[in-house]
Amino acid sequence: MITGNFYTDASLVILFLPLLGFVINILFGKKLPRQGDWISISAILTTLVLALILFAIMLKNWDYKFSHEVIMPWIDMGAFKIELGFWVDNITIVMLLVVALISSMTHIFSLEYMKGDIRYNRYYAYLGLFTFSMNGIVLANNLMSLYIFWELVGVSSYLLIGHWFEKNSAADASKKAFLTNRVGDIGFFIGIMLMFTAIGSFNFQDVFAGVSDGEIKGNLLTLAGLGLFMGAVGKSSQFPLHIWLPDAMEGPTPVSALMHAATMVAAGVYLTVRLFPIFTPDALVTIAYVGGFTAIFAATIAITQNDIKKVLAYSTVSQLGYMILAVGVGNYTAAFFHLLTHAMFKACLFYGSGSVIHAMHHSLHNLHDHDTDPQDMRNMGGFHKKMPITSTTMTLATLAIAGVPLFSGFLSKDAILAGTLYFVDQNPQHMILAFFGFGAAAITAFYMFRLIFLTFHGEPKMPKVFEGIHESPSLMTAPLVILAALSTYIFYTLPINLIPWKDYGWFTKLIKAKDSVVAGTPSAKEIYDGVHYMHDLALVLSLTVASIGIGLSFLMYYRSTISSKSWAKRFGTFYRLSLNKYYFDEIYNRVFYQPFLKFCNIVAIIDWDLYDKYFINGFGHVTKLLSKVTGQVDYDGLDQTLVDGVGRSAGGLGKGLKNIQTGRLQNYMLFALIGVIIILIVQYSVIL
Amino acid sequence: MSNLESLKFFWPELILSATALIAILSDLIYERKDSHKVSFWAIGGLLLTFITIRLFGGSSINGLFMGTMALDPFSEFFKILIVLSTIIVMLMSFNSSELDGYRKGEYYTIMSIMAFGLVMMTSAIDVLMFYVAIEIVSIMSFFLAGYLKRNPNSNEASLKYVIYGAFSSGVMLYGLSILFGLTGETNFFAIKNAISQLGPDSNLALILSIVFILVGLGYKISAVPFHFWTPDVYEGSPTSITAYLSVAPKAAGFALIIRFFNIAFGSNSAMGSDEWSSLNSLPWPFLIALLSAATMTIGNLVAIQQQSVKRMLAYSSIAHAGYMMMAIPVMSQSGIYGLMIYLFMYMLMNLGAFFVVMYVQDKFDGENFDAFNGLGWKMPLLGISMTLFMVALTGLPPTSGFVGKFYIFAAVIEAGNQYYWLAFVGVINSVVSLYYYIKVVRHMYFEGERSDIVSLPESKLTTSLVLVLALPTFFLGWYFSPLVEWANNSLNFFLGI
Amino acid sequence: MYRDFGTILFLVFMGIVLIYAPLVIQKLLAPNDPNADKLATYECGEESEGSAWVQFNIRFYVVALIFLIFDVEVVFLFPWAVVFNELGLLAFVEMGIFLLILMLGLAYVWRRSDLDWVKYNVKYGRGRYSNLYKKSQTIKGS
Repeated sequence: MITGNFYTDASLVILFLPLLGFVINILFGKKLPRQGDWISISAILTTLVLALILFAIMLKNWDYKFSHEVIMPWIDMGAFKIELGFWVDNITIVMLLVVALISSMTHIFSLEYMKGDIRYNRYYAYLGLFTFSMNGIVLANNLMSLYIFWELVGVSSYLLIGHWFEKNSAADASKKAFLTNRVGDIGFFIGIMLMFTAIGSFNFQDVFAGVSDGEIKGNLLTLAGLGLFMGAVGKSSQFPLHIWLPDAMEGPTPVSALMHAATMVAAGVYLTVRLFPIFTPDALVTIAYVGGFTAIFAATIAITQNDIKKVLAYSTVSQLGYMILAVGVGNYTAAFFHLLTHAMFKACLFYGSGSVIHAMHHSLHNLHDHDTDPQDMRNMGGFHKKMPITSTTMTLATLAIAGVPLFSGFLSKDAILAGTLYFVDQNPQHMILAFFGFGAAAITAFYMFRLIFLTFHGEPKMPKVFEGIHESPSLMTAPLVILAALSTYIFYTLPINLIPWKDYGWFTKLIKAKDSVVAGTPSAKEIYDGVHYMHDLALVLSLTVASIGIGLSFLMYYRSTISSKSWAKRFGTFYRLSLNKYYFDEIYNRVFYQPFLKFCNIVAIIDWDLYDKYFINGFGHVTKLLSKVTGQVDYDGLDQTLVDGVGRSAGGLGKGLKNIQTGRLQNYMLFALIGVIIILIVQYSVIL
Repeated sequence: MSNLESLKFFWPELILSATALIAILSDLIYERKDSHKVSFWAIGGLLLTFITIRLFGGSSINGLFMGTMALDPFSEFFKILIVLSTIIVMLMSFNSSELDGYRKGEYYTIMSIMAFGLVMMTSAIDVLMFYVAIEIVSIMSFFLAGYLKRNPNSNEASLKYVIYGAFSSGVMLYGLSILFGLTGETNFFAIKNAISQLGPDSNLALILSIVFILVGLGYKISAVPFHFWTPDVYEGSPTSITAYLSVAPKAAGFALIIRFFNIAFGSNSAMGSDEWSSLNSLPWPFLIALLSAATMTIGNLVAIQQQSVKRMLAYSSIAHAGYMMMAIPVMSQSGIYGLMIYLFMYMLMNLGAFFVVMYVQDKFDGENFDAFNGLGWKMPLLGISMTLFMVALTGLPPTSGFVGKFYIFAAVIEAGNQYYWLAFVGVINSVVSLYYYIKVVRHMYFEGERSDIVSLPESKLTTSLVLVLALPTFFLGWYFSPLVEWANNSLNFFLGI
Repeated sequence: MYRDFGTILFLVFMGIVLIYAPLVIQKLLAPNDPNADKLATYECGEESEGSAWVQFNIRFYVVALIFLIFDVEVVFLFPWAVVFNELGLLAFVEMGIFLLILMLGLAYVWRRSDLDWVKYNVKYGRGRYSNLYKKSQTIKGS
């Protein structure tokens, strides 16, 4: 193979194959048969196979301490060094598998969903670019290369959200996503640079060693940690930078499933999981609060949304908040576990919504109705009869997200809640975190079942449209079925445990928490034992809140025993706040955007009317003058006669040329001699 | 080491001279219309030379042929550079319509002989060998510059080149003879020992000799004020030869300058901070710094005025000589490997730029900026590659040109605050150069008609050669550590570290 | 240090003196009695005709150059011949290679028709000599 080491080779192939697909498709896609989608698909399936092989090897070796690192020098300027490299351990392998799996599902799903799109080849090319950059983040062994891929992910997200850039809303959403992410990335970069200044290396292991040696400590370390966490806040759409993710749903639905539900937004969580050992207790509390607050805050918005994708978007924000909360309370393996299970059921939900929207779209198209919103749940209802596969798979995934036993979400959510309970038990002053956690669990169960009931059950709201609804083609339902199957608990507890309420299995055995390297934090063992101790209480509590949520939703939207309208009226202020997403966009607009625009105007006036007009143009004039003078000396004085002479000589002025020619060369030599004499004079006068 | 023993370390050069002889012989045999087939022999020979250079790489012997030649990784780096650029230029010449109607056999033969001379230049450690090598190169370049016998411009270029070359090598020979008179030695190391015995009385003679030697070397790398021949010769020569002259002799010239000044005029502590101490506090580095600043400034300012892209590139190559010269006064290790890296990058991008100019000249019949109008739309591959070359020549990321410049500037700044002004001049010059490089891009994309019909060059060779030059120019802007390591290792060997 | 200058100045001065002194001395000593034969340009006894400032045919230069190259290179044979006995077989081989390369040069010149006064087998392009080829054919035929 390439380097002889299987892990290195596999990483290289997994990383660069999608990039190759991107390059080929973007350059030649239009000319290839089927616009080159088969290139992307074969590339991604190959990486999937490789990821599966890596995964199988991981299971076979059954070694939770496994790690493999490759370092290549990139920029070497003596003291300043940047290296590229791979860090492969069990977390990496699981993450690679998630990315490859969801990405392949997206590729396959899009075959049907994006059929006939005008920029079909570009769409597949960008998917390749995204997969490449996401794998880069996963494989990175140092902060600098992670940062590079981090930004590349941002770019590909920008390109894919704005895929239908003819729509103003899509173009705006892509810009919003890009800019909001930059805000977080500034903090991220400051964090990286603080670390580098203190420790002198970007490499994760060096950073851990540096922190544990106390090369950076105290408030500075907290600050660096929070800086790094800022990146996660932006990418994982945490409060207060959560505003971009719901808008990002303007992109094609498979993209939403891949990037804005399963993988890209999880990169922030992945980052905090990777960097967990360096966070100080202060930083961790902040992280826990950000995550917990985001979880409940986004959930309350999701209750009132009517757009099917918006509900899912806010639910994603809320679930990501859960994961961040888990990192904050120190139970970061649970965060990663939830990342894994969430990727499966949330992707399934998004594909399901895509399938519904696809069907709605076709039906509306056949009716020549272009005003009805195909994503509005108020136009749906009763779809279960027409699209049983979509309905069933989505319901399974909803059961998973609601935390019902026998499903994957139950295991991971339970672990997070148990961790939170333990933390609250140790630090009673942070009691509210537990309320955040359990409250969000209840609300999640409620609004997710609201989505299911509104969409698939009850009477069809628009009978005419309902007539035209069909189950989606098998290329779209196959990913749904696969992912719904992967939402059951069995895949996460194999091969040693088949009891649905115990979470131990390959995951808990192979992914073990590392001790923090910061002094004063509880060890991984303490947290693990505490979580274990709280497990039963958490199980009972979470089952209770989930059944309250589901029951309420059932009564309100299935049975209609409780009128949702009257409740909305009763909580009028809250309802309006939630429906309008707490007016966050408006507040940001008023507080940041408008003043910024004004500031820009002033700067533009200074720049254009003062700086550019006087300084730059003045500089330009001076340079022009200078070059004119030099040009004159060289051109008029030396070349003019000669060049013109050459030009004329082509017309036959041989004799004139001959004279000029000899004259010119003498001049040349004269100048060289004058130069020599000047040099000699300068030299000699200096030593005298 | 005696001559016979040395021969077994001399394989690359032997193969190269055999290549030249075989080229002549085959040219005698081929009919006129098949004369271009000589190039197959020449290229084959050069490839073989390349392989042998790699095979004999790594060893370091200082006294081949009774102490007149050195074999070390430092010369190996430059030999590879030279052989590569010779091969590329030969391939470039295949489709050159300028050369049509001339017997091409001699062309390739002379190029092989020139490559031989260049290779000798990089490994000479004796004044005599140094002079002979320079003369081989010079005489062959005179032939090549005037190869278009029926083109008055080419004749003029050749004649000017001959006379100017004779002048400067005469001056240089005078300088060398003064040096010999002072020291009584011809070997660089022996000269160095002899110089350290000289008293301050001989400073005048020493300066005189160094300045005179610099005339000859400055002429080879076209440094101000010995650059006057450059634009005329570059403009008159066949474009492929212009490309060659702007890269290979420059590389060999820099190799020779580094070796000669560093050995003969360096102190014992190679490239330490006091490397010029044997010259009794002469402000020598300052002078080269001044020349370097003058070279890049004049090259750039005059390049702005040009109407012909070929002439613009000629002046820009003067400016690039200026950038590279920045590394010489510093003479630190990082300075020299910066220079080596820069030369490698410069070879790729400059050959590429000239190649596109040559293609445009052949196809659209003109070398002015207007000939490039709309090229980016008509031929996207050439347009993108040319844009890349221009950006790289300016020295902007993410191209190899940036990396090269970065290393040189870093070395200059590292050398301490007495050179900050030089770095500043360099940066200002890079900004100025942006103007005329981007002018080409402007003409390719924003002037002339936007065509919807897209085409590739007719010849597969052209396409692939453009790619061969453009892809490394791009990717070396991203991943360059192998090159840096290679340059660094070559240098370490040279310094005996 | 200024003594260096003194030396150089002395050399320059002596150089001028030594060139001009004989000229001045012969001007003073020689009898001056010109006649037509004495003033004529010496051309191996032939009487010279016309001005010396005419354009020579370029072919003279080609032949002269070829002669010069071989002449100078063959000069190497003399020192070789002197020490041949001491150097032995190696020197013989070296000289053999040297002569071989020279032969190759000669063959090249020959084949390129640079030894012929009128190049029969060269196709002349447009311009002054375009009629030469035809002429050479008629000469051959006659």
